[in-house]
Amino acid sequence: MTVRAVFGLAALNGAYLCAGVAVLWALRGFHTWASLLRLAGLSYLLGVALFGILWTELLVVGVPFGGAGLVGSLAAITLAGLLVGRVRRMAIPRGWPRPPPPWAVLTTAAGAALAGLLLEAYFRSARLQSLQSYDGWAFWVPKGKAIYFFGGLDEQVFTTTPGPSYPPLVPILDAASFHAMGSADPVTLHLQYWFLVVGGLAAIAGCLHRHTTPWLLWPALLLVAAVPRFGTRLVEPQADMLVDVLFVVAALLLVLGLRDPRSWRIAAAAILLAGATLTKREGLFFAACALGLALAVGLRRGEWRPALAAAVVVAATAVPWRIWYRSMGIGGEAPPGSGLTGSADRALDALRLSGDVLFDASLWSFLPFVVLAALAVTFVAGDRLLAGFSAALLGALFLGGAWVTYSFRDLPVTADEAVNPIVRYTGAIVLLGASLLPLLLASAWHGRSEGGP
Amino acid sequence: MGGAPGRLYHRAVRVVAYLRNAVRTSSFRRLVVCACVVALVGALAVRYPRSFLDANRTARANARLDYVDRQLGGGNSVLPDQSVALEARGRIPPGETFAVQVGPRRPGWPALATQGGVDTYLRYFLLPRRPSETGRWVICLACNRAAHPDATVVWQDAEEGVSILRRPA
Repeated sequence: MTVRAVFGLAALNGAYLCAGVAVLWALRGFHTWASLLRLAGLSYLLGVALFGILWTELLVVGVPFGGAGLVGSLAAITLAGLLVGRVRRMAIPRGWPRPPPPWAVLTTAAGAALAGLLLEAYFRSARLQSLQSYDGWAFWVPKGKAIYFFGGLDEQVFTTTPGPSYPPLVPILDAASFHAMGSADPVTLHLQYWFLVVGGLAAIAGCLHRHTTPWLLWPALLLVAAVPRFGTRLVEPQADMLVDVLFVVAALLLVLGLRDPRSWRIAAAAILLAGATLTKREGLFFAACALGLALAVGLRRGEWRPALAAAVVVAATAVPWRIWYRSMGIGGEAPPGSGLTGSADRALDALRLSGDVLFDASLWSFLPFVVLAALAVTFVAGDRLLAGFSAALLGALFLGGAWVTYSFRDLPVTADEAVNPIVRYTGAIVLLGASLLPLLLASAWHGRSEGGP
Repeated sequence: MGGAPGRLYHRAVRVVAYLRNAVRTSSFRRLVVCACVVALVGALAVRYPRSFLDANRTARANARLDYVDRQLGGGNSVLPDQSVALEARGRIPPGETFAVQVGPRRPGWPALATQGGVDTYLRYFLLPRRPSETGRWVICLACNRAAHPDATVVWQDAEEGVSILRRPA
């Protein structure tokens, strides 16, 4: 709870940003300083994901985690990015592009100011927040403390705490935060999650900025940051928010790639989805849905290789952790049986529960209703591929949530978060819908596909 | 297709085609987009101030907590006595092992003050000290102290029935 701890965390997150900027520069280059700034949020998430992926694999093979390793790994990612970018002769940022029209600047400034004000309020609430959530103190933070104190995947902590098959990316980030703060301070740790929220929102805004207009972008983005369910839970030291953000930004990159396929987008999406699979168990399902759909579109167009390569990379990064916990005698992540052994009544109840949670205005305000309207009008009058891909991905996630309740028969059919994860799970659907909303509305407004670099 | 069903079908096709054309017109599309944005801005006008005030309220409540409450966090809903956790952290050297023994529930204990709840919480709170059934230190919440005849009481709160025992090496 000291200023030194806060500065330590800020420095760590600055290092994630630098690593991500170097990697994104290696992937796509930056022609202007504006493009570097616009994609700073995406860069930050790439840095976080790469750091987490790297250390998951290193911890699985027994490399100890410590302060020197932390600094060395971030420096190595940064240097590798710079080296690859140099070899690929990527563009170095020069100058600033022509400024957009005044109304766009004013709308962007107003949206960014409102977002900044809300995030500042979240910062103050996170700054002295005690660790209250059960999942936080029962397993997420103890695993982080174990990595910090013992330098690895301590067998006792990782096999006997609840949720032993949950992947270790979030505990790795926690352990890195403890090193940066100088102690295992569970209070200031909340600020790490605040940084992730800022990075996530900046990434979504940055990815969408050139593909929609500010007056369509900011209302959706601000509302998603202010809806009751997100507002109260954003900075809890758990994996839900991070897995949602990694998946949603990756999905946005894949959606943007539908109109304007570029190799850097699928490469960045692969890194983020690989991070998601190592963040939480549902990350695997999210990644499978997103890459499966991208592969289907690629097959139709005869451009399936990038999506397949991304799927191979994501699967390859997800495997070592699964081997580790299997070798420790921990059960798998799949439901009992084939996952399809429940009754038809339970299936209907699970679907009804998912629907009730998704359209609960006390959780998500009107966002899901607006997303449905935008999907409908875009499908009829806008970019059908965009609307179809978005609807298929949202539909797959929705059915996935119902399947979780249906297949894990020990879960009661209730929205009570203490016993059924459906509310937390639905957060990914709402965040994805809200992030796609500006694209859908822009497409419907113009009545055609919105291209853009 | 003839007769009434056929006429109905052709009428339905005409209605769908009319609606599709209407939706495809620029003005209708833009009307729907504007309606969506108005709905978003309306919801935002309600939600944004509330979220801002909620965050301020939480910040004030967090600032009012004392150091111990903030350090314990969820432990306040698990432990019958705050001091036992802090005393344990102060007295048990890092790297040593401890056992938790919870006896019969006493009036006024939190609902989560069970063997499982306290075990889970203290494992988190006392890391890098490790839990072990045969640990040298025993954190005793109304437990049967007679079961540890050789142990020394290093700290206790007799009123709450909690104590920390050290077994001989």
